[in-house]
Amino acid sequence: MVIEADQLFFAYPGTKKRILHGLSFSIGPGEIFGFLGPSGAGKSTTQKILIGALKSYEGRVQVLGEEIRNSRSDYYERIGVAFEFPNFYAKLTALENLKLFRSLYAGETEDPMRLLERVGLGDAAHAKVSELSKGMKMRLNFCRALLHRPPVLFLDEPTSGLDPVNARIMKELMLERRAEGTTIVITTHNMQAAEELCDRVAFIVDGRIKLIDSPRELRLRQGKKRVRVEYMDGEQRHTEEFAIDGLHRNERFLALLARFEVETIHSLEASLEQIFIDVTGRTLA
Amino acid sequence: MRLLAAFLNDVRFQWRHRFYFVYLLVCSLYLLLLHAIPAAYKETVTVLLTFSDPSALGLIFAGGIVLLEKDQGIHVSLFVTPLRLREYLLGKSASLALLSTMAAWAIHGLSLGMPAAPALFTVGVALTSTLCTLLSIGIVVRTQSVNGFLLLTQLYALPLALPLLRLFEIGHPAWYAILPTNGSLLLIGSVYRSVTIMETVYSIAILWAGNVIVYFWAKRSIERHLLSGTERGKSDRC
Repeated sequence: MVIEADQLFFAYPGTKKRILHGLSFSIGPGEIFGFLGPSGAGKSTTQKILIGALKSYEGRVQVLGEEIRNSRSDYYERIGVAFEFPNFYAKLTALENLKLFRSLYAGETEDPMRLLERVGLGDAAHAKVSELSKGMKMRLNFCRALLHRPPVLFLDEPTSGLDPVNARIMKELMLERRAEGTTIVITTHNMQAAEELCDRVAFIVDGRIKLIDSPRELRLRQGKKRVRVEYMDGEQRHTEEFAIDGLHRNERFLALLARFEVETIHSLEASLEQIFIDVTGRTLA
Repeated sequence: MRLLAAFLNDVRFQWRHRFYFVYLLVCSLYLLLLHAIPAAYKETVTVLLTFSDPSALGLIFAGGIVLLEKDQGIHVSLFVTPLRLREYLLGKSASLALLSTMAAWAIHGLSLGMPAAPALFTVGVALTSTLCTLLSIGIVVRTQSVNGFLLLTQLYALPLALPLLRLFEIGHPAWYAILPTNGSLLLIGSVYRSVTIMETVYSIAILWAGNVIVYFWAKRSIERHLLSGTERGKSDRC
């Protein structure tokens, strides 16, 4: 396993109230793992522990075989972190920023220009960061996390505030990295992004993991094994549902396809958001 | 290597924010002032300016740099790289000390000529600059605004300015012996009076000790105020 946590408890120094209550999870190589939960659930605290920012935890947390509380600054040679807000030196260009951050790593690093081109920022390489849009900064933020070729990436709300085009670009970039074997840990409350990206998700509420599973398995298991068909009968729109089992022999379904103009057919698996509400009794708002 | 990178990055940051340009203007004003001053007072005023120059540069510029970095939200990203707090602090101190030393040499060279003891003069200016830079960083991480920073700076820097009273023969020299800037004045004063070996050793030692104390204080300030919400730096960021 790349990341392993066992009975992780945490309270901020100077407070008695625990934020995390015995979290246990493991994340394998080349996996995209999502922590989902509402604000204040403990997902950011969990991520802060994993990136070595909070070390006074109880329990066991290992990343790449190293206990986090014992990690030193060279730990950051092996992990990449991209926070929700893409902060850079505003007066420096995109390329200058990447070169600056690259100079802080001792190991082998990527060519910043190549990275920029890969995320579609080649033309903006010499533009000051203050002139870039949010979507461009998010992509630049992603580049910064990749500079030192880390085997593990931690991304906080990677699609937050992005328009659909930029969100799509970011998702494709993450899937590319997964294909290259990078383990990616995402913290988000964006269910759609989690559904599309994550191999597995953990629902965190009140500092406890309520469930860990793959979004696909969850949707299938918690949903109805039925399809809903919308069709037009003359000027009238109708909706009918059919069991998926034996659908190819269902005479009514086959007749409907033959006789009417079908507008949509949808399987009725549950959405991740609905499952989250069912499991935790909470919304993600 | 990373310390060198931090140093060069700071120089680039200062250059891009036109700090060097601003300082060129300040130096020009100092030179104009020195040319207008009667010859009898020139040496005292030069020492005064050469002392206050790295102090002001360290105090104001270092604070300004950290405030700009805070405003741009840089620290959170900077401290998830292998950069250590030690390298962050020394990079800033060294880059501003370089600027201070260049400015001091320019002011002195163009008004009085070559200093009598160039090495002591340079060491005095550089260590005074690093002292004030570290002090400024320790102060600025405790504040959120420029006004707050300027106010706190007056408070913290006042004791460091006390040895200046010596120039006006106020108080017994022994009163100022424990203040590191007393060493600054002795070393910078070497431009027009000879300094004994004992004075040199004392000056460098007191300035060095001052730097070490303020360095640890600034480091602690960053851990408690800049990296609050995290615990980084306690074990591995020194």
